[in-house]
Amino acid sequence: MSESKKQCHCNRDGSAGTGLTRRTILKKGALGAAVLATASMGPWVRTSQAARLELRWLGWEHYNVKKLTSEFEKKYNCKVSAGFFDGNSECYNKLRAGGVKDFDLFMADGFWPRLYFKQGLSQATDYTKLPNIKGCFPSFLPPNYMLLQEENGTSMVAAPNCWGGYGFSYNKDKIAREDAETINCLFNPKFKGHLSTSARFEENIALAGILACYRMGTINKPRPDGKPFNPYVLTDQELEECKKLLIRQKPLLVTRWNDEDTLERLFRAQVVWASPEWSGIYRRIEFDRLDGKSKLNFAHCLKPREGGLGWVDTWGITAGVKDSEKLELCHKWINFRLKKENMVYVAKEIGWAPTVDVRDMLPERYVRTLFLNQTDAIKDLYQFDAPSSPEKWERVWSEVEAA
Amino acid sequence: MAAQLRLTRRDLKAMALSLPGALFLLFFLFLPLVTIVIYSFWRSENYTMIADWNLDNYITLLTTRTYLTFIFRSLVMSLSVSFICLVYSWPVAYFIARYGGRYRLILVLLTAAPFFTGIILRVTAMQQILGPIGVLNMFLTNMGLAPLKLLMYTNYATALGLVYLWIPFMVLAIYLSLLTFDFKLLDAAMINGAGPLRAFIEVTWPLNWIGTCIGLALVFIPTFAATITPKFLGGVNGALYGNILAHQFGATGTWALGSAMGVVLFAISSLFVYIIFKTVNLNRAGYTGKLDGE
Repeated sequence: MSESKKQCHCNRDGSAGTGLTRRTILKKGALGAAVLATASMGPWVRTSQAARLELRWLGWEHYNVKKLTSEFEKKYNCKVSAGFFDGNSECYNKLRAGGVKDFDLFMADGFWPRLYFKQGLSQATDYTKLPNIKGCFPSFLPPNYMLLQEENGTSMVAAPNCWGGYGFSYNKDKIAREDAETINCLFNPKFKGHLSTSARFEENIALAGILACYRMGTINKPRPDGKPFNPYVLTDQELEECKKLLIRQKPLLVTRWNDEDTLERLFRAQVVWASPEWSGIYRRIEFDRLDGKSKLNFAHCLKPREGGLGWVDTWGITAGVKDSEKLELCHKWINFRLKKENMVYVAKEIGWAPTVDVRDMLPERYVRTLFLNQTDAIKDLYQFDAPSSPEKWERVWSEVEAA
Repeated sequence: MAAQLRLTRRDLKAMALSLPGALFLLFFLFLPLVTIVIYSFWRSENYTMIADWNLDNYITLLTTRTYLTFIFRSLVMSLSVSFICLVYSWPVAYFIARYGGRYRLILVLLTAAPFFTGIILRVTAMQQILGPIGVLNMFLTNMGLAPLKLLMYTNYATALGLVYLWIPFMVLAIYLSLLTFDFKLLDAAMINGAGPLRAFIEVTWPLNWIGTCIGLALVFIPTFAATITPKFLGGVNGALYGNILAHQFGATGTWALGSAMGVVLFAISSLFVYIIFKTVNLNRAGYTGKLDGE
């Protein structure tokens, strides 16, 4: 009976003829599974010495230059990943909502780096670890440009990257220079149906704010906060004037553009004659003219008569970076981006004006259209900032949109 | 009593089957909604949420002309788009269901072909057709005619864009309803003296009303919350409720007001669905006398 049972058992698992028992199968199976598991874990299991640091930055998508990223990854044996936003307020919201733990570096412009530092969202940038900063135009460093330094302090809150204005590009064949180089151009009924603005509510209100305050005569008067005039800090009366201006402007506009491609198409088709923009479109059209590909004759006004908006994009380090090795890597990244060759690449391929003096490495047409001989203009431009009261500005914008 | 509460194996099986759906609703509808409702009673100040319980956001929303304008605009837009989709989709769905034969599936899939691409791509394509330098206006100007300003960054352009986006949903809902409809009932109506129009009004339409209702809900709700289409096609006067709502969570950071807007949006959508489904007569709709396999 027991023999037959044994026989039966052996036959059932098929091991009688091969010399395999259940025990050996289990043993070999376990060994195989262990080998498989180890092999499959391979890509994730490394010795601590070979572990790659990961650098995560949050910024504008156009600065995500693959060539530069892969060069940096190779050079410093690390991995770089990026998250994107459309505007400063979105970045601010992300960092406040726990983003300081998710990102090591952030990008910001205007007054925003100071705000981040003040609110404990960022930490100081050590300029001694940025040898390439010496190549920056003095216009973007203290004492000429103070927004990179902590308010009432000495810490540097961020490092400069690129700069520009938010001036007007206009068709010289359609609008005379004296009509174009004023904010009033955007509110001039003479150009009805040929004007456009971006959909950015902050900059629409700020530009209208400069014009409103210029007309009201409050632009040069002492401000309630005791600080110099800032179009992002407006009184209720000034905001009311802005609202009226923006409502009156609506019938004059073709559209409020959401992306540069739309504006460029409208410019090239001569549907739109003037619009605020960052000068990238003007540059492309101008290059086409110089190359004989287009007869369009465009100009860009960096600073309108009443005053204009400007920005200096910066790199900052979030408060979430605690590890010294990571902090070192953050500085290396900023320094790498400030390298002249890399700035030239950004200027040519991305189309933004570097804060590093690369005039000797760029053709004249770039130097001229990136305004690299006019970097001093930055001190006369009102810097991008957070609205003094987002709630009031929201209401003004909603009322304009509903009107 | 205990015997009454005893669950049978069939009950347990039914509960197990409904569990994934219930969990999905709990985690992806109920809990986020609760969060939004809570935030809607707070206030935001300088991009910060403050747990200061109040009704201000709702009072602002429901008493300020500005926000009522957006609600009204979106309501008109949603009703118009739903109506246009309805009128356009019925003949299409009817033709496919009745005369599509073995190509029915392919024809239905063709109506959904635009969905093979992303929404941004579809809206951009519409912009290329309708804009001031779009195909349509370029054609007109090349012919020496005036461009159609009506379609250049206006609410009409938005409506057209939304109709194009949501028509497949309406076609599909009506088509699925017509699939179970017994067309022999029409023959019976005709034999008894009804003309084609009367047969449609008294037989086809009411017996497929539930499919139509589903189609209306599927078009009305996303149109009411639309953001991308009006943003790209609507122009300076084209901001709808969805745009302003999205603005609160993005650029302005006024999350509390945005949350209240979200709750109002949910309430309006629910009310629409409730009203429309109150018109469904379950004794008639959905039952056509057609048996499985026939």
